Amino acid sequence: MKDFEALKSIWHDQVTLPKVSHEDVLKNLRKTRNGLASKLLIEMIGMGIAAAVLIYVWIASPFTMWTTHLAMIISISCCFYYILAMISNYRRINYDKLLDRPECYINHLKKYKHDRYIFNTRKYKVFSIFFTAGFILYFIEISFMTSLWVTVMVISFTFLWIAFCFVLMRTYIKLEEAKLEEMIQNLERLHKQFEDTDQ
Amino acid sequence: MSKEALFKEIFQANSKKIYHLCYGYTGDDETANDLMQETFMKVWQNLDKFRNQALISTWIYRIAVNTCLSYLRIEKRQPKDELTDNIIETKGEEISEKNEQVSSLYKCIAQLEENERIIITMVLDELPYAEIAAISGISEGNLRVKIHRIKQKLTELYNRNERF
Repeated sequence: MKDFEALKSIWHDQVTLPKVSHEDVLKNLRKTRNGLASKLLIEMIGMGIAAAVLIYVWIASPFTMWTTHLAMIISISCCFYYILAMISNYRRINYDKLLDRPECYINHLKKYKHDRYIFNTRKYKVFSIFFTAGFILYFIEISFMTSLWVTVMVISFTFLWIAFCFVLMRTYIKLEEAKLEEMIQNLERLHKQFEDTDQ
Repeated sequence: MSKEALFKEIFQANSKKIYHLCYGYTGDDETANDLMQETFMKVWQNLDKFRNQALISTWIYRIAVNTCLSYLRIEKRQPKDELTDNIIETKGEEISEKNEQVSSLYKCIAQLEENERIIITMVLDELPYAEIAAISGISEGNLRVKIHRIKQKLTELYNRNERF
């Protein structure tokens, strides 16, 4: 039988040491920061190129129908919305909350997780709907300009795209929901443990 | 003092205890190293805010606690009960009795609730109660009661474990 003092002496006898040095931390810090920044940059450049191509097509092509102009406005707005959402998301990764009391920090995590869920599901849904609307409106004019065969192909492609978005979205939202539910449960359990009450 | 020199000093003074906290919380050596590293990366990013703080260790502990809490949130990994067994089995006879006792102690800590794991590792590392209260955000009065219960629970777990 051992008492707590004996456990304390076992604890102090331990030789387990961290395998990370302060140089490793600094090296990793630079790597992570560069990794994050370049990932963001690549995504932004990708979306920027897509927006530029759309703007070029809009200016260079002699579109005559209002539906096509609306399609272009919607599609370009979607690209800019994506870029802005990415920037705001990146800005949210700050460390101020790390110094909060654990109880408040857990609440912050809950809110952050919930906001991310909204972003990943509802906003994605809106994004897909608008992008699809852009596609459909764009192809109205194209159908007048091209042969029946091409029009059928384009319409089929549009419907396949809608179906793909729908299936993907449903699966994605379901997975996100399950993950969020589990995380919230974990956070609530943790929150209870840190409540300053004598239970 | 340059930022890097200050960081080195802070790292050397606190890394062992932060590692113990992370190890106690996750029950896994590799994850504990990752979490400790993550904690000190955040410390580096907040170093300017710390420069004039009297009790820098309190803030580092707070970051470590919050980092550990985020870890379970993201990875949803529970402490690995079998881990300490694995250590004992794989290293076999190399492990001295002392190491076996330490492993057993970590195994028992892993069976406590998350906040209990955090509090008890700080108690074992002999942090003053006032500092533990400041880190965990629990009033000192309640903390004393909690610590008393956790000590009893851990001792019981350890002795039960030792019998088998």
